[in-house]
Amino acid sequence: MQGNSKTPLLVVEDSDEDFEILQIFMEDMAVTNPIYRCTTGDKALDFLYRTPDTEADTIVQPSMILLDLNLPGIDGRDVLVRLKQDEQFREIPIVIFTTNSDPKDIKFCYRKGANGYLIKPVRTERFEKAIQAFVDYWLNTNTPPDWVELTGLK
Amino acid sequence: MRQSEPLHGPGRLQQDHELFPVHLIGSTQPYGVLMVLTESTFTITQVSQNTFDYLDIRPQSLLGKSVLDLLEPSSRAQLQQSLRTCTHHPSYVPIAITVANTVKSFDGLVHRTNQCTILELEPASPQQTGQPSGALQNNLHQVIAHLRGVNDITDFLQTAVTEIQTLTGYDRVMVYQFDQYDAGSVVAEVKPPEEVSYLGLHYPATDIPTSVRQLYQQSTVRFIPDLTAPPVELITIENSAAGPAEEVTSPLDLTYATLRGVDPCCIEYHQNMGVAALLVIALVKDNQLWGLISCHHRTPKFLPCSTRLACEVLGQLVAAELGSKVDKTELHYINSLRTIQADFVDSIANAKNFKQALIEPALRLLDMVSAQGAAVCLDQDITLIGHTPTLEEVKTLSKWAMTETSTEIFHTSCLSDVYPTAATFKTVASGLIVLKISQFRRYLILWFRPEVLQTVNWAGDPQTSVHETDEGHILLCPRNSFEQWQEIVQATAIPWQPAEITNAVALKNAIVGIVLNKADELAQINLELERSNRELDSFAYAASHDLKEPLRGITNFSNILLKRHGQALNESGIKRLQTLVKLAERMDGLIDALLKFSRLGQTALLLQPTDLNLLVPTVVEMLQAGREEDLPPLQVQIPLPLPIVSADPVLITEVFSNLLSNALKYTDKPQPLVEIGCLTHEERLEQQAATDITPDSCVLYVKDDGIGIQTRHFQNIFRLFKRLHERDSYGGGTGVGLTIAKKIIERHGGRIWVESVYGEKTTFYFVLNCKEK
Repeated sequence: MQGNSKTPLLVVEDSDEDFEILQIFMEDMAVTNPIYRCTTGDKALDFLYRTPDTEADTIVQPSMILLDLNLPGIDGRDVLVRLKQDEQFREIPIVIFTTNSDPKDIKFCYRKGANGYLIKPVRTERFEKAIQAFVDYWLNTNTPPDWVELTGLK
Repeated sequence: MRQSEPLHGPGRLQQDHELFPVHLIGSTQPYGVLMVLTESTFTITQVSQNTFDYLDIRPQSLLGKSVLDLLEPSSRAQLQQSLRTCTHHPSYVPIAITVANTVKSFDGLVHRTNQCTILELEPASPQQTGQPSGALQNNLHQVIAHLRGVNDITDFLQTAVTEIQTLTGYDRVMVYQFDQYDAGSVVAEVKPPEEVSYLGLHYPATDIPTSVRQLYQQSTVRFIPDLTAPPVELITIENSAAGPAEEVTSPLDLTYATLRGVDPCCIEYHQNMGVAALLVIALVKDNQLWGLISCHHRTPKFLPCSTRLACEVLGQLVAAELGSKVDKTELHYINSLRTIQADFVDSIANAKNFKQALIEPALRLLDMVSAQGAAVCLDQDITLIGHTPTLEEVKTLSKWAMTETSTEIFHTSCLSDVYPTAATFKTVASGLIVLKISQFRRYLILWFRPEVLQTVNWAGDPQTSVHETDEGHILLCPRNSFEQWQEIVQATAIPWQPAEITNAVALKNAIVGIVLNKADELAQINLELERSNRELDSFAYAASHDLKEPLRGITNFSNILLKRHGQALNESGIKRLQTLVKLAERMDGLIDALLKFSRLGQTALLLQPTDLNLLVPTVVEMLQAGREEDLPPLQVQIPLPLPIVSADPVLITEVFSNLLSNALKYTDKPQPLVEIGCLTHEERLEQQAATDITPDSCVLYVKDDGIGIQTRHFQNIFRLFKRLHERDSYGGGTGVGLTIAKKIIERHGGRIWVESVYGEKTTFYFVLNCKEK
């Protein structure tokens, strides 16, 4: 297993409950990655396109985005489209994490460059499984695009 | 001596009679003198033999002389002028001639034929010398004003005969109207009180031969003061020379001659009626001989020339006014027809059910055209109203009407003439109107009128005027009996009037208009419905989504509570929390079902040839895989190969999966037996519900030996979330499987229904389109 524990994760999620459960499960799964959370699409874009306060500041961008689709304001689909069209963010894997199981939406997201699509189940054990799968693959197994910068060449 | 050939005798061959050249009769009546003059020199070339009676000169002495030499010098210029300008229509000219040393006044009429000019002279009546009296003119003006003031046609004709009777003094004056077959009937009459009335009597066409009818169209007044007067022969230069007649001259055309001799047939005919004198004024309307004003007198009767001219003017007036007169009774009737029509159109326009509006109230449809029966045929659906043939007869008749009548409306008053089968139901339907509402579908309205044994009152037996000779020739004889003779006409209804036909056509136009409007409305409603269905689907979809989020919170936090704070709860607390989770999970199942159901309405059908022989075993396998291992294996029988259907395989899989899992769920048998098949043609005939299914469809069934369903639930089971049993019995379930199956089948254009014996078995039938059998 590659140690991706430092790769920051951005969670765009408007539901406090879902986010809390996510945190609880990730804690249980011993996830140590820094987690940023934005509650709306607009805030997510503001966060990603923020300018440093001072010259010295370096902006740490997430190397992984977990994106809800149904969001207040700018919708998750728009955020996805915007980021995948932007040279700066295109390479960051975006995994959709949503209640939406509409086949049309699933297709749409993949077409627009989503790297994964997870449906949030209602049943707790399934929800946990989904998060486990995400953590196992995207945080623990997958090599993120900026892995070198984060960890230095071994 | 062709011109003087005697034409007497009781009969004449019918053909001759019809075409007998009455205008070439070659003789004149004796009440005046007729002279034939050359056009330029006015030399007399022919003359009636009675000149001595009026002019005191032998006819032979007149031949070859100029007519001008006869006249008083005062008359010459006027006659010369008239002779030069005259046309084929006689024009009046007063003439003075010295007869036996006395100057006498004559009424002269001059007209031109193709070859010559004809001058007719008759002694002027004593009171008529000079110009026609002012009294006659005044009289005429009054009559004309009076006639113009009458609107109703019957009143008008009656007024006309009364006025002419007053003017002329004839015993009997009648209006005789021709029908389309040239037979005629008396429609107005004045007569002496003691005489038999001819009003309403019919006369066969042979009574007035074609040649005579043609003459009337040209020369509109015919005057015969004495039918018994012997005819006067004409002599010509040739036959006056005492030698044998040479047939070089063509016979003289007396079409426009007032003095024209009378056909012996006509004499005998009228004498048989007891008539001695006759005046006939033709009524020519739009160049057609509409009828005659016929004036009869029992004794010889002379009428001065001026009065005859006045009668001619009156005749022209009457004919001209005919078009502007109306039949009050008919007008009233037409108005009532229009009212019915307007009412009808109104109620159809407002009706939800157009057929219902047509047939209720039943009387209105009949009144529309004054029929006694009607049939409204909408394809196979035939509704009979009033007195009609049987349903089977109407069915056959409507088929005939669809193919044999090409126009939108067809009508007859004698159906058996064109449709011999109608003879069997002539008592109810001798008269028929066929109104085609659609050319493509068998949408018809038929109206029926019963046979009316119509009584025609003939003036004498019309057949008696026609005799067959020994040689087989048909002879026409002037009838001698004018006693009323009744003929009964069979298999014929009262003819449809133009106003009734117009009404029927108007009804069709109204229906077509309304149908078009309804189609528009329907399209609009469909559009609305489609939109609202789509909205509903997307609403259900969105709503179920949004329901999921809080539900997830509930389950997750409940589970976290159980997991992390379980020790802080007592046993019942834990149990209740577990119940909470279970309830939330069931709600999740319901929402999933709702989602699935609403998605069905939103996604497009992907129809393709689907072989059920491949699809069904996959479903069975799937179910088998999901079955608990300790249960006995599934038994699904397929007795005959299944068809290939045109369907969306994913959705049809869902249907079979739902039906099969129901069959396996709702059973009390340890090893349930399920049969899947397709109804054969014979089996379909036995299935009441399958009778109207088109042959290119197939009826599939899934039959089980399960617990069965009570009849009262046959409809309920297809309702969303409807369960017949307690929540947890028979393996639970959300109650959405059959709703989904039904929606899928209906989206494929088919339908699904159930048959069951409670406690024994259940069979679900559903219809799909066959790709091939």
